[in-house]
Amino acid sequence: MVPRRFAATLGAAAILLAACTSASPGASEEPGESAAASAAADCTVAVSWNNFQQPRWAAKDKPNIQETVEAGGGTYIDADANLDTVQQLTDVESLIGQGADVLILLAQDTAGVGPALETAANAGVPVIAYDRLIEDPSVLYITFDNVGVGRAEAEAMFEAVPSGNYVLIKGDPGDPNASTFLPSGWDEAGLQDKIDSGEITIVDDQFTDAWSTQTAQDNMEAIIDSANADGVEIDAVLAENDSTALGVVAALQAKGYDPIPVSGQDGDTANLQNVAKGLQYVDVWKDANELGKVAGAAALALCAGTDMASLTIPDGLINDDVAPTAGLTAAEFTTPGPDGEPDSGDESVVTSFILQPQPITAENLDLILDSGWLTKDVLCEGVDAASAPAACQ
Amino acid sequence: MADALTGAPAPTQEANRDSHRIRGALAATEIDLRLFGMLIALAGILFGFHIMSGGKLVQPANMVTLVVQASGVAIMATGMVLIIVSRNIDLSVGSIVGVVAMSYALLMTDWLPALGIGLDSPLQWLVALAIGLGIGALIGGFQGFLIAYVGIPSFIVTLGGLLSLRGSVWLLSSGAAVSGLQTEFRKIGGGVLGSIGETATWAVAGVACIAIIGLIVYNRRQRRRFGFPVRPMWAEVLLGAIGCAAAIGLSAFANSSYLPAGLATQYAVEHGITEPPGGLKVPLGFPWPILLVIGVTLAMTFLATRRRFGRYVYAYGGNPDAAELAGINTRWTIMKTFILMGVLCAIAAAIGSARLNGATLDVGQSDELYVIAAAVVGGTSFAGGIGTIPGAVLGAFVMQSLAYGLSFNGVNSPTQNVVAGIVLIIAVGLDTYNRRRGSTR
Repeated sequence: MVPRRFAATLGAAAILLAACTSASPGASEEPGESAAASAAADCTVAVSWNNFQQPRWAAKDKPNIQETVEAGGGTYIDADANLDTVQQLTDVESLIGQGADVLILLAQDTAGVGPALETAANAGVPVIAYDRLIEDPSVLYITFDNVGVGRAEAEAMFEAVPSGNYVLIKGDPGDPNASTFLPSGWDEAGLQDKIDSGEITIVDDQFTDAWSTQTAQDNMEAIIDSANADGVEIDAVLAENDSTALGVVAALQAKGYDPIPVSGQDGDTANLQNVAKGLQYVDVWKDANELGKVAGAAALALCAGTDMASLTIPDGLINDDVAPTAGLTAAEFTTPGPDGEPDSGDESVVTSFILQPQPITAENLDLILDSGWLTKDVLCEGVDAASAPAACQ
Repeated sequence: MADALTGAPAPTQEANRDSHRIRGALAATEIDLRLFGMLIALAGILFGFHIMSGGKLVQPANMVTLVVQASGVAIMATGMVLIIVSRNIDLSVGSIVGVVAMSYALLMTDWLPALGIGLDSPLQWLVALAIGLGIGALIGGFQGFLIAYVGIPSFIVTLGGLLSLRGSVWLLSSGAAVSGLQTEFRKIGGGVLGSIGETATWAVAGVACIAIIGLIVYNRRQRRRFGFPVRPMWAEVLLGAIGCAAAIGLSAFANSSYLPAGLATQYAVEHGITEPPGGLKVPLGFPWPILLVIGVTLAMTFLATRRRFGRYVYAYGGNPDAAELAGINTRWTIMKTFILMGVLCAIAAAIGSARLNGATLDVGQSDELYVIAAAVVGGTSFAGGIGTIPGAVLGAFVMQSLAYGLSFNGVNSPTQNVVAGIVLIIAVGLDTYNRRRGSTR
C-alpha cells in the first residue's frame, strides 16, 4: 500500500514537472502549442464552468470572455459542470477532445480538479485558473484581490466611522476567504492597530454558517440585544459579504436601530439597492465583466504562444480602476498553499493577474449604472426621492 | 418526564410520600406533566444563559426577539406533529418556505405590479399573502396526493420536494435575492413597527383571561352533563388563576419592551408630545409573529383534539389498519395533513420574508431539520399516534433558546449547531427511557 502510494506521488510529481516545462518557453516543440502559435486565428478557447446556477457566470463572465475571444478571431466553446466535481473532469476531457487550445477553468473543487490539470498538461493545453485559485504552479491565475476586498471594506468603513464600537460579521468558518483573506485585509487597513490603540472596540465577532442571511440576521439580533443590555451603542458593522450584510440590515431595521454603516462585497442587486437607500454604507464590487475580458485576452495570447510570464493585458481593454496594482504585465502570486495558511512552507508561486475591487458607496453608484451592471430602474427602486443619491436623481 | 427533563433524580420505589402526594395533586389538576416538565426545562435553559450573560439575558426585549426567531419553526412544528403522528415525515418544509417566501417577494416587487397592483396599492400584501397561502396548500396537497393516493413513501416524495423545490427557488429568482416588500406586509415579521402596541396588548390579555375562565366553566358543565368526573374545585380555581396570571403577566412583560430611544423621539414629535427627561417610553406590546404563534397553536390544538379530523389522524397513527377497517377515509385524512403543512409553511414563509424585507435563496434552508427536531423534542413519537401540539411549540422554543442564548453570549453558530444536535439526542433519549420505564411498571 505504502509503496504504491509513493509511486503515485512520484507519478503526480513527474506530471507536474511536465506541466511546468510545457508552460515554459523552451517547450514550444509540443505539437498542440506549436500549432496554436502558427495560427492564432484558429485558436479555440474552452471554458469549464462549475455552475450556471449563480447568475453572474452566465450573465457577466461568459459573454465577456466570448466576445473578447471572438473579437480576436478565436472560437469559444464551454461546458457547465453543474456543481459536480466528477462532471467537471468529464467536461475538461470532452473540451480538449473538441480541440481546445487553451482551457479556462472555474474549479468546482480546487483540490479535486487535479486530474483535469493532468489531462490538460498531457494534451499540452495551458490552463487559466479563473476567479478561484488552483494550487498548481503551471496555471495562470486571474482573479480579484480577495485580501484587497477586505482592505477596501475596512478602509471605506474607517473613513465613515474612524473610531467606536464595531461588530464583525464573518462568513462560513470553513471558507478561507472568511477566516483568512478578508480578516487579513481588514487588518491591512488597520483594524488590529485601531483595536490595540483603543480607537475601536469589538462588541462581538461572529462567523455565519454557509454565509446564510437568516443566520446572520439571528446572530445580529442577539448581538444588538446583548449590546442594549450592556448599554453599548453599536457604531458600525463590518460584514464580510453581501448575503450577511443583508441579514445585518434586516436585524438593524427589526430592532429600530438608526441606520449605521454596514459593509459588504459582491455587488448583489438587493445590496446595491440598500446602498442607494442609505441602509448599507459600502459594497465592494468585483466587476466580473472586466475579469472576463482579461481572461479572454490572456487566452488568445497563450494561444499565440506567448510565454505566461510575459503576458500583458492590452492597453485600454479594462477600466483603469480595476487594473492590477502590479501593472498590466503578469505578476507572480504566492499562494497560501493547501492548508490555507500563509508562510507555512507549502506555498507555491503562480503567474497571475490580480484585479482591484472597487468600493461602491452612495457617492459612486454611477459606476454601477455606467458599466451596465444594473439599470437605473432596478438600482433606484423604492429610493426616497428626497434623500436619493446622485445616481438616482 | 418532568423530572428527567429538569435533571432531577428519577423517582425510585423508595420515593417518599410527599412526592406521591404532590403527584396526586398534580394529577387532580390534569396538568400534562410532560409539558410542565418542558416548561421547567425551558426556564432552566434561559436561567442558565441568564447567569452566563451576567444577568442580562432575561429582559422583555430579548425574550421577544427569541420568540420571534422561533415563531416560524414553532408554527410549522404544529403541522409536523400531525404528519409524524400519522406515521409520515415531511422533509420538504424548508424548501416550501423558500418557494413561498420567494413568491411573496416576487409577487410584491414584480408580478403584481405587472398586473397593475403596485406596491402603493393598500391591499397588495393581502393579495400576495392569499396567493402565497394557496401556493403552500397546492404544493402540500400535491405531495399529499402522491403519498396517500399513489402510495409513494412520504420520505421519498418529500425528499424529492426538498431538492426540486429548493431548485425552483433558484429558477424563480434567477439566483438573486429580492428585497423591498410592502410596509404593511413587513409587520407580519414583528420588529419595532410590527407590534400591536400597549392598549391592544392589554385587550389581548383581557380576552385571553375571559376565554380561559369561560372554557373552564364550560368544560365543567359539559362533564357534569355527561356524568364525567370533574376536577376538584380548588384545581379549577388554581388553573384559572394561573392561566389569567400568565396572560396578564406576559402582556405586562411585552409592554415593558419599549420603542428604541431614537424612534421614541420621532414618535413624540409626530404625536406632539413633549419628551419627559430620560426619554419617552412607548411600550411595544406583542409583535405579530407571537400572536400568530399563539393563534396557530390554539387553532391546531382545537383541530387535533376537538375535531373529527384530529381524531382520525391519531387513530390512524395508533393503528392504521384498525382505522381503515373502522371506515375512516384514511387517504383523504393523510392528504389533508400535508395540505395543512403546506399552509403552515406559507405562514412561516410570510414571517421569514417579512423579517428579512425580502427573500434570499436560502430562506428556510434546513428548517425541516429544526421543525422535526422541535416536534420530537416536544414528545412526538416516530412510532406514530403520540404527540401534542403545545409540546412541539415548546420544543421549538427550547431549541431556539439554546441558539439565541449561545449567540447572545457570543458563541459561534457552528458551536450552536453542535449544542442543538446534542440536546436533541439527549431529549429524545430521556423520553425513550422514561416511556420504556413507564410501560414496564
